Amino acid sequence: MTALLGVQLRDRRRSLLAWGLPIGLMSAFIVAIFPSVADALSKVVNSYPAGLKQAFGISELSDVEQYLDAEMLSLIVPLAAGYLAVRSVASGLSGAAESGRLDVVLSAPVSRSSIVAASFAASGVELAGVLAMSLALTMVASALAGAGLSFGAALAGFANVWPLALLFAGLGVVVTGFSLRTSVVTGSVAGVLVAMYVLDLIGRLDPSLGALRYGSVFRYYGEAIENGIDPLAFIGIAAAAIALAVLGAWLFDRRDLSG
Amino acid sequence: MAVIETEELTKSYGRHRGIEDISLEVRAGEVFGFLGPNGAGKTTAIRTLLDFLHPTSGSARIFGVDSRKGGASVRRRIGNLPGDFGFGKEATGHQAVTLLARLRGVSELGRAEELARRFRADLDRPLGQLSRGNRQKVGLILAFFHQPDLLILDEPTGGLDPLMQEEFLSLVAEERERGRAVFISSHELDEVERVCDRVGIIREGKLIAVERVSDLIGKPQRRVSVEFAAPVNREELKRLPGVDGVEGNGSRVTFLVTGDLNPILKVLAGHSVADLEIVHPSLEEVFLTYYREEAG
Repeated sequence: MTALLGVQLRDRRRSLLAWGLPIGLMSAFIVAIFPSVADALSKVVNSYPAGLKQAFGISELSDVEQYLDAEMLSLIVPLAAGYLAVRSVASGLSGAAESGRLDVVLSAPVSRSSIVAASFAASGVELAGVLAMSLALTMVASALAGAGLSFGAALAGFANVWPLALLFAGLGVVVTGFSLRTSVVTGSVAGVLVAMYVLDLIGRLDPSLGALRYGSVFRYYGEAIENGIDPLAFIGIAAAAIALAVLGAWLFDRRDLSG
Repeated sequence: MAVIETEELTKSYGRHRGIEDISLEVRAGEVFGFLGPNGAGKTTAIRTLLDFLHPTSGSARIFGVDSRKGGASVRRRIGNLPGDFGFGKEATGHQAVTLLARLRGVSELGRAEELARRFRADLDRPLGQLSRGNRQKVGLILAFFHQPDLLILDEPTGGLDPLMQEEFLSLVAEERERGRAVFISSHELDEVERVCDRVGIIREGKLIAVERVSDLIGKPQRRVSVEFAAPVNREELKRLPGVDGVEGNGSRVTFLVTGDLNPILKVLAGHSVADLEIVHPSLEEVFLTYYREEAG
């Protein structure tokens, strides 16, 4: 298992630069410009319709944490991290099947479930690395620009993305139980990711459709940068991600390794 | 005890044919060739043996253990070369060997290095930068380096140059001497003829024959080539019992004869013969005969 995990992590080492750097730089830019746009932003936000502010979770943008949440943590980072998670887990399973590596590894005394576990764990570590790099770049920008971003709040905001994104890795493992084509796995789970976001958005915009939000994990995501991490939601989503991965491993063990 | 034993092993994909009722046995110290053209079901049979595909019915046992239940203990003793060997583009051969060694609990890599020297394999370059033949060498090293009791090799010489094919055949012969079982899927009849003890011939998913190579080649079948002094009517030869595949033009005629040669010789005696050659057919000819018979 550790040997498999090591290889999976080595394969993903470039994603720190490919994903952590752009997300981090974007986030750093948002924080860096906040001091110079803060006053103008408050006026703009005050002019927004109440429904729009509710939909995007914007009460006001009077501090840098709220601005970072509105610009990055409520949309871009969770969607990007969710996509990264499914792409990562798919590369370790369906990607390995497509490249022929899965056949070679499974010729050794290794169980299919340990390959799934290694791939899922590597995705979790990769996500954590990308989020940590994003947080680090954001904090550096805050310090340089004098934005005054609270480390504890930013840590909570970025950390809260981890279980959410991991849930889509778990969903990716489940889909791998049905298809070993990377395009099918990433495409279908990315579709669910966007659909869940839209479902949650519709529920926020129209209170009469609020029940729709229960079909979306974004309902439980919250605004950790402002309110702190909800431990129940954090653990619940992480547990759901692991449960999906276990289900996926069960399906993967029973499927033919072809197509 | 048989190293590989299958009983009516069947794998179907809905309406698509896979393999049907494959029953065979491979023993320790034996090199078994699994012959058939592309698409005959060789790879499906191997993948079902290794539990990459789950059988629709029937069973496969390796070292006496059901392949579905054998798991790690069985695979520890197997070396496998997949039909289309790959390990990703970025990993080097050395990284692949190191990973497989860790997964197999092998700490000594001396054998892998020896094989790399023998095959002149470059283990330091990423596999994506290697030609098919050079990648295949890495695949062979991964299959052989832990000295398994059973080698399952799917089209092992694909992409190898003639020198390396020779090296591979020598290696297989050495493994047989050490008492190991080797299961080779191939459509290269020449290599099968040279190295295999027995062959199974598969056609459209069904095993149509299992025979010793020496028996196959030594079947009472001959290829006859006759150079007549003057053109002859080939219909006369086609009518003879046991004669098949009459070809040629003008005064030169070739054909296969199964069974007694005397009726042929009597007919030939009625003509002026400039040259006559009677040879045992190659495995390829026998193989094609099987296919013709089955198709007929």
